[in-house]
Parts: sequence; structure tokens; C-alpha cells
Amino acid sequence: MARTLLSLLALAALGTAAPAAESAVTALTAYPAKLALKGTDDAPQLVITGKRADGREIDLTGAAAYSVSDPKVARVDRTGRVFPLVNGTAEITVAVEGKTVKVSLTAEKMEAPLPLNFPNQVNPIFTKLSCSSGGCHGKIAGQNGFRLSLLGFDPQFDYDNLLKEARGRRVFPAAPDKSLILTKAIGAAPHGGGKKMDPDGEEFKIVRRWIASGAPYGSPSDPTVTKISVFPEHRVVDRKGRQQLAVYAHYTDGTVEDITRRAQYESNDTDIATVSESGLVHTQALTGQAAVMARFNGHVTVFRATVPRPGAAVKFDFKEQTAVDTFTAKKWRELGIAPSELCSDEVFIRRVYLDVTGTLPDAKDVLAFAADKDPAKRDKLVDKLLDSPEYAYFFANKWADILRVKRRNQPNRAYGTFAFHTWIRESIAADKPYDEFARDILVAIGDEAKSPPTVWYKEVRTPEQFVDDVSQVFLGQRLACAQCHHHPYEKWSQDDYWGLAAFYARVGFKTVQTPGVANQNQQNQKQLLFVRSAGSVQNKRTGAAAPMKALDSDPMTATSDEDPRAKFADWMTSPKNPFFARAVANRYWAHFFGRGIVDPIDDMRVTNPPSNPELLDALAQTLIDNKYSLKALVKTICKSRTYQLAAAPNEFNAGDKQSFARYYPKRLQAEVLFDAVAKLTDSPTAFPGLPTDKFAPNRAIMLPDESFASYFLDVTGRPQRISACECERVNEASLAMTLHLLNSQEVQDKIARAGGRADQLAKDKRSDEEKVTELFVLATGGKPSKEKLELALEHIAKHEKNKKLAYENIVWALLNSKGFLFNQ
Amino acid sequence: MLRFLGSAHKFCDGATRRDFLQIGAFGGALTLADVLRLNTAQAANKKQPTRSKKSAIMIYLPGGPSHMDMYDLKPDAPAEFRGEFKPIKTNVPGVEICEHFPLQAKMWDKLACVRSVVSVDEHSDSLVLTGYPDRVNRTADHPSFGSVVSKLRADDGGAVPPFVSLRGMSRGTEPGYLGIAHRPFTPGGQGNANLRLANGVTTDRLDARKNLLDKFDDTRREIDASGTMVGMDAYTEKAIEMVTAGVVRDALDVRKEDEKTRERYKGVEQFLTARRLIEAGVGCVTLSVGGWDTHGQNFKTLARQLPQVDRGIANLINDLHDRGMADDVVTVMWGEFGRTPKVNMNAGRDHWSPVMSALVAGGGLKMGQAVGASTAKGERPKDNPLSVPRVLSTIYRAIGIDPSLTFNNGAGRPMYVLDEREPVKELLG
Repeated sequence: MARTLLSLLALAALGTAAPAAESAVTALTAYPAKLALKGTDDAPQLVITGKRADGREIDLTGAAAYSVSDPKVARVDRTGRVFPLVNGTAEITVAVEGKTVKVSLTAEKMEAPLPLNFPNQVNPIFTKLSCSSGGCHGKIAGQNGFRLSLLGFDPQFDYDNLLKEARGRRVFPAAPDKSLILTKAIGAAPHGGGKKMDPDGEEFKIVRRWIASGAPYGSPSDPTVTKISVFPEHRVVDRKGRQQLAVYAHYTDGTVEDITRRAQYESNDTDIATVSESGLVHTQALTGQAAVMARFNGHVTVFRATVPRPGAAVKFDFKEQTAVDTFTAKKWRELGIAPSELCSDEVFIRRVYLDVTGTLPDAKDVLAFAADKDPAKRDKLVDKLLDSPEYAYFFANKWADILRVKRRNQPNRAYGTFAFHTWIRESIAADKPYDEFARDILVAIGDEAKSPPTVWYKEVRTPEQFVDDVSQVFLGQRLACAQCHHHPYEKWSQDDYWGLAAFYARVGFKTVQTPGVANQNQQNQKQLLFVRSAGSVQNKRTGAAAPMKALDSDPMTATSDEDPRAKFADWMTSPKNPFFARAVANRYWAHFFGRGIVDPIDDMRVTNPPSNPELLDALAQTLIDNKYSLKALVKTICKSRTYQLAAAPNEFNAGDKQSFARYYPKRLQAEVLFDAVAKLTDSPTAFPGLPTDKFAPNRAIMLPDESFASYFLDVTGRPQRISACECERVNEASLAMTLHLLNSQEVQDKIARAGGRADQLAKDKRSDEEKVTELFVLATGGKPSKEKLELALEHIAKHEKNKKLAYENIVWALLNSKGFLFNQ
Repeated sequence: MLRFLGSAHKFCDGATRRDFLQIGAFGGALTLADVLRLNTAQAANKKQPTRSKKSAIMIYLPGGPSHMDMYDLKPDAPAEFRGEFKPIKTNVPGVEICEHFPLQAKMWDKLACVRSVVSVDEHSDSLVLTGYPDRVNRTADHPSFGSVVSKLRADDGGAVPPFVSLRGMSRGTEPGYLGIAHRPFTPGGQGNANLRLANGVTTDRLDARKNLLDKFDDTRREIDASGTMVGMDAYTEKAIEMVTAGVVRDALDVRKEDEKTRERYKGVEQFLTARRLIEAGVGCVTLSVGGWDTHGQNFKTLARQLPQVDRGIANLINDLHDRGMADDVVTVMWGEFGRTPKVNMNAGRDHWSPVMSALVAGGGLKMGQAVGASTAKGERPKDNPLSVPRVLSTIYRAIGIDPSLTFNNGAGRPMYVLDEREPVKELLG
């Protein structure tokens, strides 16, 4: 019988190891190399790794055959999990394809089960079985009168609810099997959540044993978890491959425990890899990278899987132009993909104009650039654009979104929003170092006339808003979850949240009256931000005043004449800060590439790792080395060869969505599109409420705040600055937008305006061919193909008597084409 | 944002509610990935293939209608409580409603009410249209029922917007964290103007333009892995169809109905418009009727308004039945709260959130009943208190939307459509 089983296993091994067949296994290793097991519950996972002839490491845990020298001492199941049986020593032999590896094993304390500890062993079961998930008992109101802390982050709370509520019927040590927690979980009593446990399963046995032993919380001297780790941390896995993980809890007393079956798992990209409850990762049929999170008792760790393109490695030459290229090329080689060709000059000038200045280049500039023979012309263009006023306007618009420069249609706020916007724009034009820029906003004091950044605090009125906005804008972290519960995908706890909130505690506002003006007249009131000499913020979890504490750092204090925000700014803008430079580097990268290295850009957490960590580090370092010059950062990005790749894929990178092996086309954002339509039709817009002289802002990228009515901007996705998230901007397709571009009076009037583009071209004495070509270059950056040119000329010929009409139609068609609507 | 003042209802707190027509966007912004996911989800849910075509009509009675004078009369209560109206029998034994609802009384087998709904004391449509009170939405920005429909159905095809608000924009019709793409289409807004050919453009000219566009627009779609380009192509076809075929324009034009039908809906044309929009394929229509903040002259006001509402709702529900759409369209009618059981010195009733009633019809829900009950004097639920979100949850389920779906808000936090979402089991039948 044993023999049949073994041969079956061998067959199974052949089946699953099939992808590896192309390259035989040359060596076998086991992790851990030896096992010291304590107590009947200690049943760890083995991870068996084979080394292939090509040097790659592959997982053979599920393909190996396991035998134990003394079957009385322990047994190993087919998934590589070891179960101790009695005290003793033994040796496990693992065999795959004729190769073997041995694991020595000792088992002790097997006489009687060890005492259970509620937070370490029992509560994680309720988390793993989703009892304490947000959709069930973990939600704030609980479920049918029974509430657990979300994902079991507060074991004491859960313990009290289990034992002290519902008149003690939930756990019943005198008759454990009558405990509601068990009868409901196995489906013996009606349970809205259905059957969660098997009466023969491990979870049931542990919970039952815990109840039978008097439902202890555990002793105060019991160790607690300090961190969790995963083996392996990173692997290159073939498509349709698998990788068993082993997860370990590290305790305060120095012990390490296998918790593979007790941890929870989640993949950040299920198109690339999925993960089972027992920590077995399955890669799918796509090339890319996935991060698999393991979570246990508020701690998280991540396994990263890289899934390369199958087949032989593709060779390519890639001339490195900036630090960016070193690390993107390295990633492509790792994934076995190749970058697209360099884009044409016409595509580049349109791309960089739109990305740096939010402005469509003139046709003559495009043609001149293409004709220019200077080999350094692309770099020179980047430099030139960064010195243009449009650069400052365009990026001021970007920062005004996330700094929420917002008037809310209140006239008396206009002075402040205009002043703050001007301050941002001038900072950007002068390339004010980013650390100073951020500090000036954080520690702003006084009134909006003297200190425009105080306007930021008009939207940041509470300690909670302060934490949410600061963390999202400057640290790239979404901390809002931790206001009410431990962050489910990060280590941040409520104490971390309120520790940040405490820096806001002394911010005060007062209203200053203009002498001699009636109180009611708000126009004559000024709001003044000042710093009190004392003040505290209550930690909602503990109810006590929260000590000032930045993320991952020691508590701080501030004397009565200090501004706590300055202390926070010191911490934040230090070159050693792990969040600050990376966050803005990632934000700027996403601006140019349409996707962050960490994506979403302001969700930089352990469990959402960068697709290319070295690249992100290099960008952050560029920023620090250049004294936080944002222009230097833009140059590093735009002068890279990576940024200058064509959008068209090749056979090797067609499926690439995250390694930047080609340029990902972007729909023009609302303001840029609005301005581009105005430029293409040569019909500028005046905005209501702004001066009409020639110096007045006449472009959407120049608007200082959100309170300028425009249906066009609304349907094309302009954010209302509700949140500090760039995700509020919508760049996707929408029916309302398409309808507006195709058939609105607004666009039609711009196209048909007397003196507008179509009118000018109709009257222009040049040949139609020349004029049509110029129109195409302006709209799309490229000359028309022969067919398109002929079609356009035919159309004009048809309307010989009313050329304006024909040109209007051509402008309309170009305006609605992807070549115009997208930056590519 | 441009605002056109519509019929402004003055409420007791002196504020004019945002019952104005405000320019709203409409349409959806599903990514290709979303569409694929939805298709997969629908494929997995083969048991109820027709459910995705179901739609909802949300009727809001602004100001808070008096529960004791409509669906929950208390003829045995003391005079200062029971008020002036008498109950009448309906065609369902045991269920009685107000004498001013004679049409509904004849068809109660097609209607149901919930008499133990618990609300909050807020003059806002926020709770009944989003499932969350205004107090919560000021920071949490939960989306309107219709915006959720819009988000999930944007790609259902058909040249109609998924969400139409006949009452303009208000807190309850805002899409919140789902984004402005899921604002309702509001007749009178610019979205509506865009449905008519722009001045200076004829059908022939649009045709010629479209021909040029088809030839010019040859960007390789595969360079855009996000699916936005393909999405735009679909919208271009849809938009042209909306302009040339004019389905929405026609649906909004009640003059297309025959004289007799229009006579039936005289004075309550919004109900007819709602029916026409639903017939054209709209996923959710919301409208409001009357003003119900009756601190004074409660009975005088109601005697005037109740027969109107009666005619609107009866004709609407009967029409849906006649068209075989009763099970595919769920209708709910309610206000933000009930009114004080004890009549005040001005023959009025004041705000009363501990209990109110809701009228529900169709959607495959169990009709011909009155769910829950209030205490003898109509003061609070006698048993079975049912929160507004639980009723809303039932409505979501009736059109095949699981209210435990989550969408990420601006902070990246997954938000449930409804936090409290246990359905009213009596309505599920």
C-alpha cells in the first residue's frame, strides 16, 4: 500500500513539475533545515526548493515524497506539513526526481496539550474564518448582537465580548459543546454566516479545548508577537506555477512559531497570482508581479512573486540616459520582456509639452523640432519647458487639487484661494525645494494675506483631517482606516493615528475684525491661525490624551513656546524619512507614466509594494541629492529613454501594464483637454468672475480654485477637491463627456466661431493640402497619412462654395479622434 | 456650478431645500476591467439572468409626510392623535388606509406598506436615497441609490442614461465617492441640451462628420491597455444614437402619450415621465412630489395632496402591471420622517422620526400586506423596528444588486453600499 501511494506521489510529482521538465533539478533544499517541535499543536510547514540547471529556484513542496524514519514520532502530509505524534527524534527524507534532502526532527512536550493563549492561538481562528471581517461580526455594529474587533485587532475586547456578553452562553466551560460559539460555527444552531468550522477540524478542536480548559485569556507573562516573516520573500515563478509559503510569528521571548495555517492571505493582483488559505500561491497565465500579503494579529508581511514571460530570454540593447533606465531595464530583463522602440520626435514633443506644460504644441514648433539636427534637442526641450510659465501653472493646478484649494462658491474665500494658488505657482516656478514647500504649508501661521499657505488649514479643520491629508499628500500613506481600527493592510494602529493627530493639538483659529466695520460683514473678517501654548488630542481608543509620535519613531515633546507642527515637519522632511521623498517621487512618476511605481500612488504600504523598488529608491535619492528640486526630478524622468519609448507594443511587452516597457497612453485630463479644444478651434474662453483684460487667466490650467462653473470641465472629470486623493480626478471614458464633445453647443460654437480656426483656414490663401497637414499636426502631433489627406481634400472639394463648413467638419472629426484626445 | 432655481419648498427651519435643477453629469465610467469583472460576476450568477434588467423608481415626499394620515391610521386613538381622516378598507382583508387613497385601496394586492420604519430627524433626502443620514454623508459621501445603479449598469447598452433625477440635484442624488460620472441625468441640465442636435448641425452633417471621424480615428486601440479607448468608441456610438434616435428626448416628452393617458396623470405628470423613462431602459428614476412639512394645517394640506399622490401612484403601478413590468420595476415612496402623533395647536403635526411608513410596489416583492406596526397611538414601532437602510437593502435586492458590494472611497477604504443591510424578510415573501 505504501508503495502504491509513493508511486502515485511520484506520478503527481511528474505532473506538477512539468514546467520544470525543460530544465532538470540539480539540487534540493528544505526549509527549515531542521525542526524542533514543542507540543501537539506545533505542526509546521516544510518548503522544498529545487535548484534547476538554469539556476532558477522552484517550489517542489507539493511534488515531493516524504518519509519519516520513525513513523511513530511524526508524520508528514502531502502538502509538506509535519505533525508530531510522541516525544522523540526522527529524520524526514524528502525525495523528488531521484534527488533527496533530509530534515532532522525532535518532538517534545507531547504528553499533554500546552496551555492555550487567547490572543495568539484562539482569536486568530476567528479572523482566519472571517468571523471578525468587516461584513460580519467585525463591523462597528456587530452582527445579531455579537461584535468582534475588526480582524481581531483588539483581542481583549473580543475576549470580553465572548465571555461576558449574552449571559455567558457563548462559551460554556462546564459543557464546552454547548457553547454558542461552537454550536453556531459548526451549523448545529442556526447561524446567519453558515457553517464555518468542521467538528473534526483543527480549529474546532483548539477552540473547544480552550473552552474546556476554562477559556483562559493567557498569562500576562505570555509572549506577544513582535513581527511575522514569510519564507521565501521573493521568487521567480513560471506562469501556471505554484509556491508554498511558510509564515512565522516572532515572539517577545525570542521564540519563533510556524503560523502558516493560522495566517490570512491576500494577493494584490489576482490576474497574476492567487493564494489559498493554506498559503499556497498559484501563478496565472500572465507576465508580471504580484504581492501576496500574510496577516496575523495586526502584523503583515509580503511574499513577492515575479512571473516572467515564458521562453528564451529576449536580448535588447538599451542606452541608459538617466538613473531611471538602469532600473527599468533591469526589471525587463528579470521579466524576460523587451522595451518598445524610441518614439518619434513628433510624438515626443507633443508628449512632453502635454505632460510638462499641459499645453498642445504649435504645429510650427512640432515641425521645427522634427527638423532640428541637434542630438541633444530632447534634453534641451525638457529644460526649456520647465522654465515656461505654463509648467508652473500646470503643476500648481495639480498641487491645488490635493492641497484642496477650494472656495466652495463662497465669495469671501476668494482672496485666500487666489493667494494660496499664487503662492503654490510661484513656489513651483522658482523651484522652491520640496522640503521647504511642504514645511511652509505644515507650519503656516497668521492670516491669508501674510501667509497664503494658512488657507490649507481652511479645509483641514480637525486633527483627523490633518492626519488624513498629511499622510496622503506628503507621506503617500492612507491612514484614515486607523482612526477607528487597526489598519487592515498595514502595521498602523489607532495609536499611530492619534500620535500624528497630536501634532495638530495646539492649532487655534481666531477671527479678527476690521475696526469700525459691523460684525456681520464677513468680508471684513479675517481668520488668523495661531499656535496655543498647550492643547491635546484625545486618542479615541484609550480616551487619554495622545502623545505626539510620528510614524515608526519615538514620542516627541514640545515646550509651551514651540510649535509641535515644526517638530513634525523636522521629522517629515529629514532625508532619512522613509516616506517623504518616495511619496513625491512616486506621485511625479505617475504624472508622466499614468501609473505609479506604487499604485495607487498614495497607498504606499508594505502590502502594496513598488513594482520596481530600486527605481523608486533611485528617484527618491535623485530628489535628495538635488536638494529636493522638483525640476531635477522631472528632468531625471523626462530625459530618460524609458519615458521616450513608443506606445506601440512589441511581441514581448504587449501584456505589460506595470513595468513601463512602453508608454501607456493617457486621456488628456479635463483642464488640458479644455485648453486643447480652445487651441485647436482657436476659440479661447473667458471664465466668469475673472477679469477680461489680456493678462487675465484664459486657460483652464490657470484657474486658481474649483469654483469656476464649467460643464465641460465637470464631464471631463475635473475633481471637486473633496479629498486629498488624485484618484478623485476621472480620466476614464464617460458617455456624458463623449456626448459633450460630439454634440454640445459649446464645442460646436467654438468650431464654427467667426474668426476661429475653421474660418481662418477657409480664408487662408495657402493650398488646402498645406492647411490640412498643419491642422493634423496641431491636433495629433503627426502629419496625415496619404489616405486621410485625400479624404480631407475630397471633403473640402465637395464644399468648394463653403470651405468653412468643410474645415469645421474636419476640425470636429480631429477633435473627437483618439489621436487628439490622448497623449501617446 | 450653474444653478437654476426650481420649485423651492420652504421648510420649517426657514431654509430652502436644494430642490433646484443643477447641471449634472450622467453616464458611467466603467473601465474595461470592471466590465469584464461584471460579466464574470453575471455569468456566475446564471440563476437570475434577467435580474440585471430590473429597475427602480424612488419617490420622495419632501418635508416628512404624516404616517398617521396616510398608511397607518389610528381610528381608536384619542381625538387629538387620530386626526380628521378616516380609514377605508382595501381589497386586502385586514389592511386599511386613508380615505383619501381610494384608488390604492382598490389595488392593495399590488401594493405593500411598511409601518414600522425608523428614521432620523433630518430635513434631507440623504437617508432615504443613500441609506446614510446627512450627518454621516457630510464627511463620508455615500452614493445615491441611482449612482450605484449607474456604476454597475453603465455598460448595459441602450441609448439611455442609467440614472435620471426628475427632481434635480440634492444630497440624496449625489454620487459621492463613486465620482461625478455617476451623477444623475437631470432634464433641464446641459446634458439634456446635448441630446438635441447642436444649432448649425443637421443629421446629414453629423453623418458626414462621423464618416470623417471613422477614417481619421485609426489609432491602434491595443496601445491602451486600460480600455479607455475602446470604452470611448462604445460611447461614441451610443452618443450618436442618443442624438439621432432621441430615445431619452422622447421619453421625457409626455405629449407622445395619448390624450386619455395624459388625462389620467393630469397634475402628476412626473409619474408618467418616470414610467416612460423606465420603459426606455433607465435603471433608476427619482422624483419628488408635494411639500409635507405640515407644522400647521396638516389636514388641509393633506386633503389637497393625498388624492394627487393617490392618482399618481395608482396609475403608475397599474400601468406597470398592464405592461407586464410589475416584477421588473420596484417602486418605493416615502419621506424623511413621520410626524408627531399628537396634533399640535395649529392643526399641524411636527417632526417625528421614531416611526414612519413607506409604500413599496413591484420588483417581485410580496404585495398585498402591511409589514410591521406602530403602537396604539402611532408613536413608535410596536415590534419589528425596521431602519431605512433595511428597507433600501430590500429595494437593492429586488433589482438584483447585492448591498454588501464594496467600492473604494477616496481614501482607498472599501465602503459597503449599505452598512446595515438585512432585508425586510416579510417583503421578500
